[in-house]
Amino acid sequence: MILLFFGIALILSLLIFIFPKRIIIASASILYVLAHLLLTVYSYENLDLWDTAYFKFDSLAVLLNGLLSLLLIPVTYHAKLYLQRHVNNPKKESFFAGVMILLSTAISSVYFAENIVVMWVSIEITTLAVSFLIYHTRYDTPLEASWKYLFLSSFGIAIAFLGILILASQATSAEGADLSISYLSSAAAQMDPFFLKMAFVLILTGYSVKLNVFPLFAATIDAKTVAPSPVNAIISTALVNAGFVAIFRVYSIINQTALNSWAQHIFLLTGLISLALATIQLFRIKRFKRMFAFSSMEHVSLILIALSVGKLGYYAALLHLAFHTLIKGGLFFQFGQIRAYFHSGWIKDSGSYFKLNGIAALAFIVGILSITAIPPSGMFVSEFLIFKALFARGAFITAITVLTMLTVIIYVILKKTMHLLYAELPANFNPDKVIANKFEPISQFLLFGLVTYLGFNPPAVLTNLIHATINLLN
Amino acid sequence: MIIVLIILFAATLVYFFLSERVAKFVWLLSIQGVLLFGIALLNLIHTQIFGLILILLETLIVKAIIIPGFLHRLQHQNRLKRVHESQIPVFYSLLIITAILIICFLISYNIDNQVIQLRYFTVALATVIGGMYFIIIHKNIFSHLVGFLIIENGTFLLSLAVGSEMPFMVSLAVLLDVLIAVLVIGIFMNKVQDTFDDISVSKLNKLKD
Repeated sequence: MILLFFGIALILSLLIFIFPKRIIIASASILYVLAHLLLTVYSYENLDLWDTAYFKFDSLAVLLNGLLSLLLIPVTYHAKLYLQRHVNNPKKESFFAGVMILLSTAISSVYFAENIVVMWVSIEITTLAVSFLIYHTRYDTPLEASWKYLFLSSFGIAIAFLGILILASQATSAEGADLSISYLSSAAAQMDPFFLKMAFVLILTGYSVKLNVFPLFAATIDAKTVAPSPVNAIISTALVNAGFVAIFRVYSIINQTALNSWAQHIFLLTGLISLALATIQLFRIKRFKRMFAFSSMEHVSLILIALSVGKLGYYAALLHLAFHTLIKGGLFFQFGQIRAYFHSGWIKDSGSYFKLNGIAALAFIVGILSITAIPPSGMFVSEFLIFKALFARGAFITAITVLTMLTVIIYVILKKTMHLLYAELPANFNPDKVIANKFEPISQFLLFGLVTYLGFNPPAVLTNLIHATINLLN
Repeated sequence: MIIVLIILFAATLVYFFLSERVAKFVWLLSIQGVLLFGIALLNLIHTQIFGLILILLETLIVKAIIIPGFLHRLQHQNRLKRVHESQIPVFYSLLIITAILIICFLISYNIDNQVIQLRYFTVALATVIGGMYFIIIHKNIFSHLVGFLIIENGTFLLSLAVGSEMPFMVSLAVLLDVLIAVLVIGIFMNKVQDTFDDISVSKLNKLKD
């Protein structure tokens, strides 16, 4: 099935590239979203079954692929609006749409890959796709961001490959290296602890570029600063999740050994450093997209800190990941409207948004309340569970440190939000150039509402998938 | 014989830090590709024929011919002759890369592991660290690409050190992936030159808030 899906995705993207016509772009994009949804349903129906020798429909993959399917629906709509407003050239539009399909397919491939090298190859494809998507406007700042992202990601991926090779060396049998996650997990207990540690650190360092955490976060932040909103809605959510999957798979291997508490310490260290860096950097930001990028860094840090708690924190970490995906996607859709309204992404160029575009401003407020985990946001529940786990484990100093940094982050984000909503109109604002669509905020209200609902009434399908994912670690 | 090739490989690594001419970097990468071909051939002569052909293709065709050829084109398109802007004098870099080699040698010989072949591991580790150091001391993005390729060569040597044979399809995917990445990086480098009239990283600073 998965190969069929890859085939369909490839044909659709080729169709778009070869015939750059709007009707073909729209039809192929819709067909792709349907195919993606079908893949999610099929994988859920065939949970825990293998699909070819390299892919498996496990609970984590199904959960994250489902979230991506859900996001792709509004992404298709907002991408159409973005292209109409800012590109308006069928050839460039076709390139954008075709690469978006390839990016989403590569991300799904990362989720479902059961082989650590197939996962690596898929991650490398996402790097190439993101670089082209950032640069598709051909201006100088996107070029700078593309170059940095491409180079630093390739560097990170090369480092991760070193880790994979070291892991492979420890799992070599008479028939050669078996690099499936299940085999590596079963062989983990026999691996040399020194090499296992080395592999884990190298893979975490390498994939930190996708996960948007310390040490290789800089290029990702720059990429998000210039990427178009629909692309950001994918790379700040589904692609971050792909990085999480890659790290989670390696953690599931190391978790079979006595080194699991050591790995949790590494998660804690990475999480705390990343959170501290995000807190400091947020004071310096002058653009909304950069604010959201550092906010993503903050949430991934929290997820790593939750993982560091062990069994008590796994549920909270996965719930937080799911909620972050939906809320951050919605916020980027909303930012697309702010950009179209003020014709700028700089905070200083915005103001009086509440007065000018009330419904969209309301969507922005709800989004900000959701992302800062202020009740009734669903994220309040997941963050509450993270702190509950930290206190239950007796990590009081960590919990208080994290709480302090979160308070600072909330203050900075709310301050910037207030500027957008209530500050005086900037001198360069031109009402004649305003682009607004009253239907655009609908997707954001739906996504933020969904997170609130899921936070307080999580359906069995969500909790079962999360619990099944936790079982993958045991 | 293998040990001679590995020592020659380590010598090319040192030579990267002695040179400031861009053409030399391209030649050195090509020589590293040929040396890797020799090492792989001697090491994997008894393995499956498909795997062997693929690895030879990767080293001789891709690493020794295609990539250096592509870099040579990039060098001419961007009129690059000499890299002046290394942040650390050659003499100190030479001392540092020698220290890296000695430290990697000491680390490797303190590793007690049956699977890893230490003669490859020492130079592979030094190559990866050397590649990173090469990137750090240069401001020019062409040199960054060269540093990235040094790391790639170190990774390839490490794959021989760990002695793991990956499935044919997986190896093919890795090979294509790396090749495409290098080509795309090169294309972007050309765009940077066209847009900024320079390929120094100091020009790439518009994104900071």
